[in-house]
Amino acid sequence: MGIKATRKPSPRPRKPVPAPARTSVADALFSATQQRVLGLLFGQPQRSFFTSELIALAGGGSGAVQRELRSLEESGLATLSRVGNQKHYQANADAPIFAELCGIVRKMLGPADVLREALAPLQNELQAALLYGSVARRSDTATSDIDVLLVSDTLTLEQVYAALAPAEQRLGRPVSPTLYTVAEFRHRQAKGNPFITKLLAGHTLPLTGGTDAFLAAG
Amino acid sequence: MPSSPLDNLARIGQLKAEPPAQVEFDGLLRSGQVRLADAQHRTLSLESRFDLAYNAAHALSLAALRWHGYRSENRYLVFQSLTHTLGLEPAQWRVLDQAHRKRNLAEYEGDLDVDEALVEAMIRVACAVAERTVALGPVPQEPA
Repeated sequence: MGIKATRKPSPRPRKPVPAPARTSVADALFSATQQRVLGLLFGQPQRSFFTSELIALAGGGSGAVQRELRSLEESGLATLSRVGNQKHYQANADAPIFAELCGIVRKMLGPADVLREALAPLQNELQAALLYGSVARRSDTATSDIDVLLVSDTLTLEQVYAALAPAEQRLGRPVSPTLYTVAEFRHRQAKGNPFITKLLAGHTLPLTGGTDAFLAAG
Repeated sequence: MPSSPLDNLARIGQLKAEPPAQVEFDGLLRSGQVRLADAQHRTLSLESRFDLAYNAAHALSLAALRWHGYRSENRYLVFQSLTHTLGLEPAQWRVLDQAHRKRNLAEYEGDLDVDEALVEAMIRVACAVAERTVALGPVPQEPA
C-alpha cells in the first residue's frame, strides 16, 4: 500500500510494465520465509518447534528456514534448546520486542489473515465466514483447532477442506470448518440453536467482506 | 504386498496385522453398501442418514484395511488409514474425520447437530471408498 502513490513518475516513457501485484503489509516488511517462520514462532509463542518441523511447516527451502532460525536465535528473538540431537526453537518471551512481535504476527500473519487469504478464491460462493472459538477469543493453545463457520449454498465440504489445506499448513494447526446452507443457518438462528446462539454471542472475526451484513440481516 | 506406511502403523501398535479373509471382506463390503444405499433415502431424517453414512463409511474402510491384511478396533485409525489403503485424498478423509468427531461429541453431549453439507459429503466420500474397495478385487492369498 502506498508504494505506487508515492513513486515519482518515470523521467522518460518506458515500455508499460505489468501492474504490480497488491503488496500486503506483511510482504512489505518480511520475506516469504521470514513470514512463515515468524508466523509459526510468534503465532504460537508457547510452543516449541524442532527444526525439521519448522522446515516442513514453513514449506520453504530448508537452508532458508535454517538461516532465519539462526539469526532469530543469535538476535535473542528466539531461544534454542537441545533435546538429544534435536534442536528446539521457541519465541523468546524475554526479548524486548516479544509482545510487539506477537501483536504484529497476530495482526498480519495470524489465523484470521491466513484464513482470509485461503478463503479468498471461494469468496463469491460464501455468504458468510466466521472465525470463532478459542482462537477468536485468543485463549487457544498449541493444540487448539481453529474453528470456522461457513455459510454457502454451493460449496461442498471437500472443496472447503481443500481450500483450507494451505492455511492449515501455514498455521501448523488443523482448521475445523462447519458448513451450513443459508436455510440451515437462518433456521438455527431463528430457532435459537444453542451452538449458533453461543457462537454469535461470543468472540468472532469475519473472514469475508459480506459476513457482517449477512449476520445482521438475520 | 509391501505397504510400508501400514507396516509402520502396525509396528507402533496402531494397527494389528492379520491375514485377510474373503468371507469377512465380502461381509463388510455388503454391509457398507446396503447402509450407503439407505443413507441416500431423503425421506429419512438427517440424523438417521448421518448414522447410516457413518457406519457405511466405517464398514467399507475396514474392508479395505482388512484386504491389506490389517485391522483396528479404533474407528479413527480405520478412517485415517484410507490414505494408504485406497489413496483417498486428504480433503475426503477429513470429511470422515469430522463425522467421527461429531459422532463422539454426540455421545458425550447427547446432542447431534448434523448439517446437510456433512451428510452429503459423507455419502460422496463413502461412495468413493466403496468404488475403490470393490476395485481391489478378491483378497490376496497368503503366499504359499
